[in-house]
Amino acid sequence: MNYHFGGGRSRAAPYAFLAPGLILYVLLALGPSLATAVYSFTDATGLPGIKINWIGLENYKEFLTLGAAARENIGALVRTLVFCISVTAIQFSLGLLVAVLLNQKLRGTQFFRTLFFLPVILGVTIQGLIWTLFLYPLGGPMQSVLGLVGLHSDFLGGQPTEAFAWVIVVQIWANLGMTIVIFIAGLTTIPTEVYEAARIDGAGRWQVFREVTWPLLTPTVNTNLVLTIIGSLQAWQLFLVLTGFRPGLTVMGYVVYATAFGATSGGSGSTMRQGYGAAASIILFIVVLVIGMTTQYLLARRERRVLA
Amino acid sequence: MSTTMPLDARSAPNPGGSGVIRRPRRDAGRVAAYVFLVALAVFYLAPMFMLVLTSVKTLPDFGKNAVGLPSTLNLGNFTEAWDKANFPRYLLNTVIYTVAGTVIFLISGTFLAVAIARRFVRGGGVIFTLFLIALFLPPALIPQFQLILNLGLYNNPIGYIMLFLVNPIGIVILVNFIRTIPIDLDEAAAIEGCGYVRYVLQIVFPLAKPAIATVAVLHAIGIWNELILATIYLTKSDYYPITRGLIVFNGVYGNNWPVLAAAVMMIALPMSVFFVLMQRYIIGGVTAGAVKG
Repeated sequence: MNYHFGGGRSRAAPYAFLAPGLILYVLLALGPSLATAVYSFTDATGLPGIKINWIGLENYKEFLTLGAAARENIGALVRTLVFCISVTAIQFSLGLLVAVLLNQKLRGTQFFRTLFFLPVILGVTIQGLIWTLFLYPLGGPMQSVLGLVGLHSDFLGGQPTEAFAWVIVVQIWANLGMTIVIFIAGLTTIPTEVYEAARIDGAGRWQVFREVTWPLLTPTVNTNLVLTIIGSLQAWQLFLVLTGFRPGLTVMGYVVYATAFGATSGGSGSTMRQGYGAAASIILFIVVLVIGMTTQYLLARRERRVLA
Repeated sequence: MSTTMPLDARSAPNPGGSGVIRRPRRDAGRVAAYVFLVALAVFYLAPMFMLVLTSVKTLPDFGKNAVGLPSTLNLGNFTEAWDKANFPRYLLNTVIYTVAGTVIFLISGTFLAVAIARRFVRGGGVIFTLFLIALFLPPALIPQFQLILNLGLYNNPIGYIMLFLVNPIGIVILVNFIRTIPIDLDEAAAIEGCGYVRYVLQIVFPLAKPAIATVAVLHAIGIWNELILATIYLTKSDYYPITRGLIVFNGVYGNNWPVLAAAVMMIALPMSVFFVLMQRYIIGGVTAGAVKG
């Protein structure tokens, strides 16, 4: 509105230069994102030039009700929720504890913060390979540690539930740094005078946390909870690197990828059922939306109560 | 432990001062905090240390005792990985994808963000909302694939780079930052009567540098680490980025951990150094994105 230099013709300049960014976004992200719903009602494949037919709710029906595959799909849905709850509970509480500890005047806090955040930067490929080596079943480090107490594990190659548990461990190892850093950012916004006042009143450590830190940290708590819940519902890439596609072990995100692009990655077009995969994607999206919105609603209500 | 003096010392001189009484307890808390943090640090360092250790072992050494110290320092793993994993090629690909994707996104993104943040365009608020809701939409993966396929850009570096020209969180960070730049500077530019492009590049760009640097680093890391899109879109090994190269190498060399570990090290080490140097921008960026988003 206040762009008046140049005058006349150049009034169009901001529009012209905004256009490329906007067009790219609509064409490559927003449009395709919304089109996922449309594709879920078709029999689209991953091959070019094949006629795409409208088949209504068939993909959804097949995904949720047809035979053994549907049972595996429901299993994947349940595992997605278990994965989300386990990861969120541990990552959130551990992250909060570490952030509170690192927010004190302790020597070496910078080092710890850097170390815990490092895996976030390295990305899934390196995270996955580092842990595949660490969980090397033939006398690897973790095996040796377990051996000390007379235990043995097949780790990522073991029973599905066992491998699943290890993926949870790696997922938390990989993303805890993010939770910590966001909590620390929130903690630094709490003025030190509030702590001092509480301490003068004779409050102990636990009391200070409960009466001062926890309520004042509410907005950051909410951010972290929502991010971790949504993130872990959609997470699946570590499964790809750590375990591969195995029945009884996969989560929804992996099912979407495997059905739409072929489980063995870059596989032949015949296994690329993109309409079916889109339906799986929409089912996961609805789960994320319902859980995400419910969490947002509950947290907003709590925030109003706490900060009132 | 052996002397009772500290006990006397803390109760005697200052009976009313709670601070003096609590001091030993606070020290105990401090020790507990350290013990906990160090234990967690071991959980983080041990897998990384294992990688370093394995990368300098010979294969027989590793086979005999996977966790033992190496009998000789075998640096040959690194040259072997470099040659056999087709490293130079994959690294070059990754660098090309990262630079191209980041530069094009930043230029288009900055012009977009300036127009929205300074309200130079009508409907800027609505456009901004389109970017804000991105987090809550279904993944674009499948229709995006159909689009690239029908454009004939499947298994094509151009098509692959196109996937990285969009970053809604980056736009949100840029817009929010540019909004905080005082508008007086714009007025100064207006008086001089400079053109729009010069205004954006010479006035806004330098002022928004911290935000642009943050978004650039975050965006670049995203492209650098991308594995899934590379797996979906690039089937010709000449086009592989390093992430895909490592996974393929893992498939072929899965049993030769020393060479594989050396390959991983050659990527992880420079990235770690980069992170330590750029930490301020990276951590500032992810927290800004998280708090605003």
